[in-house]
Amino acid sequence: MGANLDDEEAAHPYIESLVVREFSQMSSNWRSAETAQLYLNRHKVPVIWDIDTRALVRHLRKHGALRGMVATDGTAAEQLVFEAKNLPKMAGQELASRVSCDKAYAWDKGSIELASPPWTEQAESAATSHEGRRYRVAAYDYGIKQNILRMLIDHHCEVLVIPAQTPAEDVLGLGPDGIFLSNGPGDPEPVDYAVENIRKLMGKVPIFGICLGHQLCGLALGGKTFKLKFGHHGSNHPVHNLLTGKVEITAQNHGFCVDPESLPSSDVEITHVNLNDQTNEGMRHKSLPLFSVQYHPEASPGPHDSHYLFKQFTEMMKENRRN
Amino acid sequence: MPKRTDIKKILIIGSGPIVIGQACEFDYSGAQACKALRAEGYEVVLVNSNPATIMTDPEIAQRTYIEPLTREYLEEIISREKPDALLPTVGGQTALNLAVDLAESGVLERHSVEMIGASLRAIKVAEDRLWFKDACRKIGLEVPASALVNNAQDALRLCDQLGFPLVIRPSFTLGGTGGSIAYNREEFGEAISHALEMSPVHEALVEESVLGWKEYELEVMRDKRDNFVVICTIENFDPMGVHTGDSITVAPAQTLTDKEYQRMRDAAAAIVREVGVETGGSNVQFAVNPETGKMTVIEMNPRVSRSSALASKATGFPIAKIAARLAVGMTLDEIPNDITKQTPACFEPTIDYVVVKIPKWQFEKFPGADSTLGTQMKSVGEVMAIGRTFKEALQKGIRSLEPSSPWRAPAETPDSLLREKLATPRPDRIHWLLTAAERGLPEEEICELTKIDPWFIRQIEEIIAVNRRAACVTVETASQELLREVKRHGTSDEQLAQMWKTTPAAVRLQRARYGVSPVFKRVDTCAAEFESFTPYMYSTYEDEDESEPQNKQKIMILGSGPNRIGQGIEFDYCCCHASFALREDGFETIMVNCNPETVSTDYDTSDRLYFEPLTLEDVLAVAEREKPHGVIVQFGGQTPLNLALELKRNGVPIIGTAPESIDLAEDRRRFGRLLDELKIPQPRNGTALIPEEAARVAAEIGMPVLVRPSYVLGGRAMVIAYDVNTVQEYVAQAALMGPARPVLIDQFLEEATEVDVDALCDGTDVVIGGIMEHIEEAGVHSGDSSCVLPPVSLTSAMLETIREYTKRLAMALKVVGLMNVQYAIQRDTVYVLEVNPRASRTVPFVSKATGVPLAKVAARLMAGKKLSTMKLPLVRHHGVSEVAVHEFYSVKSPVFPFNKFRGVDTILGPEMRSTGEVMGISTSYGLAFAKAQLAAGQRLPRKGTVFLSVNDRDKKHVGPLGQELHALGFKLMATRGTASALSAAGIEAQEVFKVNEGRPNIVDLVKTAKIDLIINTPLGRESFYDEKSIRRAAIRYNIPCITTLAAAHAAARGIRALLEQGTEVAALQDLHRGAVAASNSQAGD
Repeated sequence: MGANLDDEEAAHPYIESLVVREFSQMSSNWRSAETAQLYLNRHKVPVIWDIDTRALVRHLRKHGALRGMVATDGTAAEQLVFEAKNLPKMAGQELASRVSCDKAYAWDKGSIELASPPWTEQAESAATSHEGRRYRVAAYDYGIKQNILRMLIDHHCEVLVIPAQTPAEDVLGLGPDGIFLSNGPGDPEPVDYAVENIRKLMGKVPIFGICLGHQLCGLALGGKTFKLKFGHHGSNHPVHNLLTGKVEITAQNHGFCVDPESLPSSDVEITHVNLNDQTNEGMRHKSLPLFSVQYHPEASPGPHDSHYLFKQFTEMMKENRRN
Repeated sequence: MPKRTDIKKILIIGSGPIVIGQACEFDYSGAQACKALRAEGYEVVLVNSNPATIMTDPEIAQRTYIEPLTREYLEEIISREKPDALLPTVGGQTALNLAVDLAESGVLERHSVEMIGASLRAIKVAEDRLWFKDACRKIGLEVPASALVNNAQDALRLCDQLGFPLVIRPSFTLGGTGGSIAYNREEFGEAISHALEMSPVHEALVEESVLGWKEYELEVMRDKRDNFVVICTIENFDPMGVHTGDSITVAPAQTLTDKEYQRMRDAAAAIVREVGVETGGSNVQFAVNPETGKMTVIEMNPRVSRSSALASKATGFPIAKIAARLAVGMTLDEIPNDITKQTPACFEPTIDYVVVKIPKWQFEKFPGADSTLGTQMKSVGEVMAIGRTFKEALQKGIRSLEPSSPWRAPAETPDSLLREKLATPRPDRIHWLLTAAERGLPEEEICELTKIDPWFIRQIEEIIAVNRRAACVTVETASQELLREVKRHGTSDEQLAQMWKTTPAAVRLQRARYGVSPVFKRVDTCAAEFESFTPYMYSTYEDEDESEPQNKQKIMILGSGPNRIGQGIEFDYCCCHASFALREDGFETIMVNCNPETVSTDYDTSDRLYFEPLTLEDVLAVAEREKPHGVIVQFGGQTPLNLALELKRNGVPIIGTAPESIDLAEDRRRFGRLLDELKIPQPRNGTALIPEEAARVAAEIGMPVLVRPSYVLGGRAMVIAYDVNTVQEYVAQAALMGPARPVLIDQFLEEATEVDVDALCDGTDVVIGGIMEHIEEAGVHSGDSSCVLPPVSLTSAMLETIREYTKRLAMALKVVGLMNVQYAIQRDTVYVLEVNPRASRTVPFVSKATGVPLAKVAARLMAGKKLSTMKLPLVRHHGVSEVAVHEFYSVKSPVFPFNKFRGVDTILGPEMRSTGEVMGISTSYGLAFAKAQLAAGQRLPRKGTVFLSVNDRDKKHVGPLGQELHALGFKLMATRGTASALSAAGIEAQEVFKVNEGRPNIVDLVKTAKIDLIINTPLGRESFYDEKSIRRAAIRYNIPCITTLAAAHAAARGIRALLEQGTEVAALQDLHRGAVAASNSQAGD
């Protein structure tokens, strides 16, 4: 299939390496701009292939997420194992600030249109025009995926992306209609500054969090997070929406999780649960305009079943403005 | 949502006989649905006319009706059983059409039966092409421009609007029957009139062509709560223009980006919602322009389908089983995933391997048929292969087809011919693609000629590249790395042996030395994310093996591979039964097969399933890993039998009849000597390698003779010769066709009655399972002949001889398991035509007719049980035991694919051409025959006009037939000769012109619906254009046509029974219960 700029989710790929069974040396797709190999070369991402990846997955399933090393310089395997063992563990590391933007910037691109017009959410088609933007959203970048920004644009938002450590006061100074808390890497607990900021913002403006943003909300609400054995990764996770009784097939990529038992039930309502392992996938505040989900409703890649959450966010902002 | 409690009894309609476009995938899905609903506590009533199905086993549903799938019979069943609901979505197009008919004619309303799974409206919207297009446009999706026409004039006017090429699709036909592509006005004119004729509603859709676009299918499910999941994506290797049933297909989709895929997923969800398919599985097909990405919707099926069966096997997600539960109101999140146990069925399977499906065609059976692939499906079966890469899966798939030996284009083929072979899709195109890559034809040119996606072409080039490197070395000098690499590309030992001018055994040995052997990985729906509890495996060359063989008493069963004419669902049925019986007895059963349509490849059927090609290399690998205590080869037809001797030589323990005995029975000379020793007569016979020898042998035997190649199944390329020239020509041609194998020449017994016997033997005792009398005389292939059990015209002396011979043969061949014998009786002499010490095509029919599951019993015998310890309902006849027969008649009738192959003569002969069979049961032979005919699509008239035209041999016997038809009130028409023969018998028949005698001739009368039944017996070699055109017209206008006098007599009895008995139905459970009671009273001789 190859690579194309429209499908990028960040300025550059954040993976350290790609491990696959087979790596196609060619691309064949009308959208392809270059082969995957050229793309990854350009970004200096090493690829190893001809690996029994299924055996690797089974290994990880059994032993849980592991640290690993990939080398192309002929370093001995024992040496690599030694180095891998000395890598810092994911738990306890504060990674969000390392991948966040340096300074705030405005985002104005909506979803790309493929050859056929989108037939879902046709009402949103005018959203990309500037006049269509009705809500000012400040989006905390803890490692944000660009499709979240595109989705916000599609939903009539004016979007300002702000660095992870931007103080709550500064954000409120921008006069936003809503705050968005993005996804991001690793353990939420060390991201204490974000938890602090969220506490200050709660109740003042509508808040919508995704993934790390959801975990940070959990912590801000007084809950706890824990590390999953091997996390949730992939685009086929069934999530039960407890409010509607329906199941959404979702994209997920997280190693940590909010413990729903630790949340104050007086304030927080659990809204989504993972059907595979019953872990928490979403919540909302019972009285304040705040909700968040553990999975990736912006998809890209992944199914679009949860796009409605962006609409829910704009509805919340609309409602909040009316009050 | 919990399951519904307001319904208790559910009617399921099966798909009827196996035909092109509707094969045993519906036995697989229907049986799953029955089992799932029973498990949920519902009472299931099943109707299907096909006895060779697992679903019609009396223990699958509570009430099983083997009855014709017509409105009148369904209404009779409904009024007797009073079901609360009807599930129409698991029996293919047949069940769907019948359900629509039952709903629209008011039958369902009259009996308060609710349609579940799909509403009448949803079915109509999905099935009616224009309504469907409107629905798609309404939700903003693009569809190819089109219009419905019901006459040629309107159609021609459309041409100018839409431009060529145009696709013509008749409404309401199966597998695209009657559809085609027209590139100009002339082709269009013919195509449209054919399409209108084929459509039961005389209507066709003329559609803008999206030829050459990429084609995709999504298999989706939806439940009552509107939960929607995609089970599998399938990409067609062959672009639009080739029916998806005739395309090589790949799962998951290989050349879509996520954005495009999600667009397709959204579209599929929107369509299913708009059409209103509330619950169950559907499939939606899309075409994508490879240049622009423009996507259009092609069609949807609001039911389980061939693709959903493939998707189930490809992912491990049992679509039909889940669909049945959804139909009774359950939701996806309430249903557990069988494979992981801990997670629910509400998810989208992930595949960490590649699945390739390749169709199996048999044009050699239909000389004159056009082998170009187009919008109408022509394949008779398919194979599926699993590998970790497309390359591996493709090569495994190619060797799963039979013959499995590597195909090579003749070296002298000019490039111009090669280009033509690439540009026109035919069954062998994949081999031409390999040839093109071998010759180094540029990738762009191959893509341009074939419109196949460049990614696939590159894969083929990569296969060729590694093979080319391998070809530079020898078996001794090949390095371990190269050997591993070439095996990782899926190349077989046989291919390597060819390259290295050595034997596959030498390659295998070298691999063993280097430790290059396959591992087995699991199909688990989730790419190893969760633990799997279902040992469903495939081989691949990787590091880790997950098979975890168990230390139990285990028996491995080799399946029958792709469905073919002559080796179809009946053999899969036997394999399943072997597995069921041995599981019950505490064995661990291991199934090996590569046919995705079957019940045998359901992970539920056996304890362990290996989805593997049935070649020596692949079967040995499984055997080495599992080390089974016994391997059953006699249930899967010729495919596993061909491996038997080699497997045994390699130390694999074959159980049951020794491969040597099977071999002996196949060897004419040795078998002839055995018959002489046993004092059993056989037709005079001989063999010949060259024409001169053949002439001599034929002269010795005396004309007519039956000529055929040795080692056959389904009567491949057999002819009846009435003169020596024909024999010589045949032998000369056979020598051209393949390696020097002798041609068999047998005395042909004219006007003989043929009899089929299935028997059981444990080495000590013999039990006759069933004796079937053929209704057509000898000369018609036994698979193409109707037969009746018990026999209706054999004397007790004949039966006694048959039983005695059968016993002698079984004992002499040391049969352990099943044996089938074909006899011919000519003037009171019983001859043995053929003995097959293995499961036969008739085993399921006999089992349904008698209630004794022969294949199960046989499997137990092979595992060491004795007949004397089994409690079978037996009757002893002069020292030979026989399964007790019932007080009803069972008739089996074949079903032919002639409507798929225009221009092919429909006359029956020694070459088997039927794809499936049906069964009619009644207390009278006549009605059983009439019901079987009806189930096979031949509705015998109760009144009207019969046309007769018989050959000279038959003229002396046509009188009584004429009298009977006259007595039944029919008006008779006949050609001159037949009319005078009738007149001699005192019956007046109106004389009609033959085609070349003037007009209006007989074909004109057929076309103007003046004829209700045609009786036309062939004239042997002096066949006239006349006959062929009469029979072809009969097919086109759906007028029952009978081609033997014996069948005509049976038809007359059938018509009488129809007039006297009316519509009569009975459940198998009641029929068998009666039989057991009857046999108990006779037990003990």
